[in-house]
Formats: sequence, C-alpha cells, structure tokens
Amino acid sequence: MKTIFDGKLRVLDISMGWAGPLVGQMFAEMGAEVIKVEDTHHFDWWRGSLSMAPPEMQPIERASVFNTANRGKRGITLDLTVERGVEILRRLIAASDMLIENFSPRVMDKLGLGYDAVSRLNPRVIMISMPSFGSSGPECDARGYGNTVEAMAGVTGLTGYHDGDGQRYTLSNALGDPVGGLHGVFALMVALHERQRTGRGQWIELAQVEALIPFVTEGILEFQFTGKVPEARGNRHREHAPHGVYRCAGDDNWLALACENESQWRGAMRVLDLELLTADPRFADERARKANEDVLDAELSRVLATMSVDDAVSRLSAAGILAAPVNSAPAVMSDPQIQSRDYFVPIERAVVGTHLYPGAVARFPDSPLRADAPAPLLGEHNRPVLREMLGMTDAEIAELENSGVIGSQPRQYRAAS
Amino acid sequence: MRYNSLSDIRVVDLTHYIAGPYATRLLGDMGADVIKVEPPAGEGGRRAGPYRDDGRDGQDRGGMFAFLNLNKRGVTLNLKHQRGRELMMNLLRDADLLVENFAPGTLAAMGLAPDALRERFPRLSIISISNFGQDGPDRDAALNDLVLYARGGWTYPVGERTREPLTPPGSLAQYVAALYAAIAALQTIAARDMGLGRGQHVDISILEATVATMIYETVTFQYSGILRQRAGKRFAVGPFMIVTLKCKDGYAGLHCVTDKQFEGVCDLMGRRELASDPRFASALNRYANNDALLQIVEAFFLEHERKWLYREGQRRAIPLVPIPSVAEVLEWEQTKARNYFETIDDPVLGPIRLPGAPLRLTSHRAQPSRPAPRLGEHNREIFGQLLGVSDGEIKALQQAGTI
Repeated sequence: MKTIFDGKLRVLDISMGWAGPLVGQMFAEMGAEVIKVEDTHHFDWWRGSLSMAPPEMQPIERASVFNTANRGKRGITLDLTVERGVEILRRLIAASDMLIENFSPRVMDKLGLGYDAVSRLNPRVIMISMPSFGSSGPECDARGYGNTVEAMAGVTGLTGYHDGDGQRYTLSNALGDPVGGLHGVFALMVALHERQRTGRGQWIELAQVEALIPFVTEGILEFQFTGKVPEARGNRHREHAPHGVYRCAGDDNWLALACENESQWRGAMRVLDLELLTADPRFADERARKANEDVLDAELSRVLATMSVDDAVSRLSAAGILAAPVNSAPAVMSDPQIQSRDYFVPIERAVVGTHLYPGAVARFPDSPLRADAPAPLLGEHNRPVLREMLGMTDAEIAELENSGVIGSQPRQYRAAS
Repeated sequence: MRYNSLSDIRVVDLTHYIAGPYATRLLGDMGADVIKVEPPAGEGGRRAGPYRDDGRDGQDRGGMFAFLNLNKRGVTLNLKHQRGRELMMNLLRDADLLVENFAPGTLAAMGLAPDALRERFPRLSIISISNFGQDGPDRDAALNDLVLYARGGWTYPVGERTREPLTPPGSLAQYVAALYAAIAALQTIAARDMGLGRGQHVDISILEATVATMIYETVTFQYSGILRQRAGKRFAVGPFMIVTLKCKDGYAGLHCVTDKQFEGVCDLMGRRELASDPRFASALNRYANNDALLQIVEAFFLEHERKWLYREGQRRAIPLVPIPSVAEVLEWEQTKARNYFETIDDPVLGPIRLPGAPLRLTSHRAQPSRPAPRLGEHNREIFGQLLGVSDGEIKALQQAGTI
C-alpha cells in the first residue's frame, strides 16, 4: 500500500537533538524522502560523546535516542564552516520542499540561509525554525533544551510532591522536545496544505516554549480566577480522594488508584476487602475523605503493602475502578493492550542490531505510516544523495571526501589518525 | 490567534473534555471551519474548572471550555432523534473531517458507524481518539490522568528514590494525544488530495500517544539493559548533569550535556580547574562521578539567586533557567514582548488571558481568536443559513429538544 507522499515530497532536516529530528522522522513515516544533514565535526549532539567508547566501538552510532528520532532518513554530512559545504546545502535546498532547522536564532542568517535567502533559492520551500523561546523578544538568545523549555513553560513549577519541601522535578521525557516536534509536524502539514492553494512556501516560527504553555492553561486560569498561584499537587487531585500512588508487595512495585465518585469508592473498598473504611465517618463522603486524606492514604498503604500490584489491579479493573500499575519501561512494553496492538516495531540497525521502537501513533487503513526503517549512520547516504539530487559524479564526490567537506567518520578521529 | 491556511477545510467536531477539543482547536486556529456539535445539555467539558468564584461559570462554561473551544462555532443536536441524525448527515455532506473521542463503539450506537459514513461520504475522514484504541483487551477500561501517566510509563522514573513515584501535573498527555490527532487529520486530507481520492478512519490511542514520548525509557532500556530509576532532582544519572536545583530564592533548571556546556558551568562557578579535573574531564567520567559533581553544583546554586544564575549561565551559553510558576509565565517579559497571550473577551467569563497560537505562520497576518461558543450559539446560523432549515422548523426543533 502506498504511503501518503510515496517519495514525492523531499524534506531537508538540518536539525539536532529531538524536537527537530522528530519532525523529519514523522515525515519519513509519511513516505517523504527525508535527508538528514550533519557535520563530521559538529554531528548531532544526540549521538552522544566520542569519549563514551573507543573508536572501533563506534560510540556515536550507539545512541538509542538518536537512532529512534532519525528513523527512516537518509544521512549525509556537510561541513558548513566552509563555503563549499554551504554551497552544496544551497543546491539541496533548491531541490527540496521543506527545510527543518532548530539552531539558536541567527545561526541560519550567519550561514546566509535566513528565510529570505532560502526563498530566493526556492520560493516553494516551507522552512520551519524551532528556537526554544522565539526568534524575537528580550530572551530570544537564551539557550534551551527539552527540560529547560519544560521549566519555562511552567510545567516544572507544578511538578512536586503534595507534602514536599518545595523541591521541583523535571519530567522523565524532556516533554518540551516531543511537544515541539509534534507542533512542527502539524505546522508543516498546515503550510503544505496552504501551498497547494497558493503555490508558495513560507517561513514558520515555532517557539517551543509557546507550544508547551497551552498544556498548563488550567493553572494559568486558576491563577487568573483566584489570584492564587497553583500548588504542586503531587499524586493527589483537587477534588477526589483517594487519588494516589501506593506501595505494593515487592521491591519497587506501585499502584496508581483513583476514586472519582461514591460508587467507585465503595467498589474499590469492596474488592480490596476494606469495606470497613466505607463505614468510617472520617471517609463518609468525598469532602470528608479529602479532609482526612493523610489518614486515608495511610490506611490504604497499610493494606496494599502486602498485596501484589497485579492482583490489586486485576481486582480493581474488573470492578471498573481507575487503577494501574506504575509501569517501568519493560512493563510498558509488555502491557497487554500495547502488545495486542503491536505498538512497538522491530527494526534492525547497523552497529546495534535489532530492537523494538515505538511505532506510529495514528493508524490509517489506506495510506499507512511507516515507522520501521532504521536511522542512518553518519554520512551513510552521501554518495546516493549527492548523485541523485545534484547529479554529482563519483570523482566529484571522492574529491569532496578528500577535502573533508563530506565524510563518514567524526573529524576528531580523522585528525588523530 | 486565527490564521486562514485551512479555510477550505470543514470539521464536524463531536468531541468533549480535553484531547478531542484541543485537536479541533488546533485546526480552528489554523483557519478550519470547525462546527462543534454538542448534545442539548452541552458536553461534559463545559462544567470543568477552574471556575471564577463569582458563580458566572455555572451558567454556560468553566475556564477550560473557554480555552479549548476558541475558534469554533457551536450547535446543539440530539442524535437520538431521527431529525437530529438527518441534520448531522447534512452537516457531514460537505465536511472533510469528523473528529470524535467517544468510547469505542459509541459512534456506531448513535447510528453513525464509521464504515457506513465513509461509504456515504467518500471524501470524509473520521478521526477517532480513545483511551486505549478501537481494539485490544482493555479497549473499554476506565482511564484518568493519574492512571494514564502510571500505565504509560511517565510516573515510574520521576521523584525521590526513597518515596513513591511522582505523577506529572495536569493533563499533559491528553494534549500530546490531541497533537497526534490534529496531525492525523491533516495527514488524511493530504493523502486524499495527493492521489488516494478518499477519506480514512483513523484510530488514535491516548495510551500509545503517551508511550510514544517515552523513548528514553523504552528504547534506551533495550540498548543498555539498565532500568532507569527515580533520580530525585536529577533527570537521570548519566554522562550529563540535567538537574532541578534549589537556589537562594526558588529553583533553577540546569541542562549540562556537552563538554562545552560543562566548561561553561565550571567557569560560572569560578572553578575552571574542574574542567580538567580527572574526575570530570570527559562525559564518561562525569557519569562515573555524577554524585560528586552534583554536590559541587548543588552547593553553588544554593548560594545564588535564580535571576543571577539565569543571566550569568546564559551569558556562557549554558541552558540554565529559573523555574517559574504559571503566574510568572503569564508575566514573563519574553511572552509579553512577543504578544503571546491573547486577551479574549469571553461572553460569560469576561476578559481572560489565554495562550495564543502555538506556532506562527508568516504567509499572512493572524486575526484575533473568536471566543468559545455559548451552548447552541450558532444553531440559527448553521442550520438556517448553511443547511437551509426554515425558521419555523428551527423553532419546532427547539421545542422538541432536538436542538
């Protein structure tokens, strides 16, 4: 079955890390030809550090996260510190539909590849820039990554225990990155739709922090309506109790349990053999349970500590109660619902072998997304890309290799040898 | 703000609460004609807080509804009535998208089975967002944010090693699912217009959207065999220092990954010798001696104010930021200078400041957003002008409780 673009859309991805590369990866899923451009010196920092292992181990080809976010792309290298490298990039832009970059503001201008220059090369190109905090404004030069964007969007300020000492925590998925990337895909799809009507590309500015702030609107409204700054609630809920994470039997096993109304409360206590609690006046209704939540949590913890989490979840779920194990990575991957839908897909990749990677989230019957192609090795597709896109001869490509404009080894190795 | 790039796309919006409404809101922000169809009593999300304490919200909407339904028109329709379903079919006739987030099977039970709709309206795509997807053993299980975060893997690695795992705030993962749905909506239209010629039924599982962002866990675990544990103030223990630290007047976030950033941090602390200290001289060493490094950085942060750390850190190209409250986000000079927050004169709640469009197109100037519709606000406009229902019939439909 054909993919959405079936190779008829070409995307140039010169971004690094997660947010930008995720955009390219999702276009690769749609069947676009996505070309990832790196530099043999300043290769994508998400490949990790050369110091992690000796050269023969190819440490920068072993980065799980890089190998996930760059799936399905063709990889080329270009030294953008020399004019010949930039000139090749210009020629690639002239032959592309989209350009993805997430440098800090002004880098593209310094390369002579601000949007004005790009649109002169190719007015149909849709270019997206993904600065952390925007390309204008007093803080536009501030550096940010997933976690720092998450902080500046107000997410971190809300992440803490309900009874903590004020300590704030960063989430485990660098949320600013995937959220920035998803917005980037959406933005390019919008601009592509518009281009079909107008024939013209455009520049899209995606300040990653501006993409994430809407996710905390609830708190922003709470502040406007009450004048009070919302507190971190930890595992608790504004209105409902019980609503928490409780230790179960074993080493590090936890149950997430919530009751949102009286029938769930009674049902949960019944299946946990805690019906006594439903007769306790301290827990007579939600208001009372909320007021006595510390005692309630202590009672629940006492009983649950001796129960297996799987047993508790299966009893609660069968009764329609909101409950789940607090899943670690392997538990997520063996979750029966995740498995039954074959969400993870096996991919074989050079150097590291075969692993399971998260599949495409949206499922289409007639133009399926393809998330099953590996990430490129550094400079893996230099030859075919330069030959097919720019019509270069083998001799020209060999000369570029010899002069270091392109390559397939990190330049540090080259200098050392 | 509202752009007009998608002005030729019509969306019939049968969504409620967060994941569905935010997906159609994104489409509406980009100019799609979004017609929100609610039951005559209104969708459940109208009653979601936060509320103004003066009771004004009780009449039509809480704050979240006002936010999630900007740039939409709203009608009411009782789909249990024969005439209600007929009007629904008339709306779908010229629509490109139907977006819904009912429990699986509900649409069919309403007489709107996706397969039948696609047969009748070949150009229509149906975007179904559900907790667990349209199939699978737990398809019909209950879900809320706490359980979603736990099951999807977000909770386990966050918090103190000695305490219970810490649930992320709010409904973040629901918004992630909304993004996947909004993207999928445009993907089906692109597929249709680039040769397929027909619409599709898309299945989005909120659980899978949640798991999708966990690549640090799921993929890294397979590569390394090491299970990531809760690391307290650290993002993780690794060849980096990504950490949330207490300072003199609050908390600050540091992201130190590269050698260059580490040299910057040493310089910031006035301890440039640390950059060549054998304990920390390479990423691998900083991994092995992560605790020792954290102690040094932690002590330094505690003695300084977040503004100073931010300014002096960024001057050295270190991604180091203060950790603002949502109130501070609202008053941040950067969002102000970029006119990010938009003041909406909500017809019920009065003026409220809401996050603006999350991306900026440059092909044309954005228009101010349209406030979220009052219940049935556009009944006359949509049923009368668009579908040609007479004034007399509209009145009769109101009396019959169909609209």
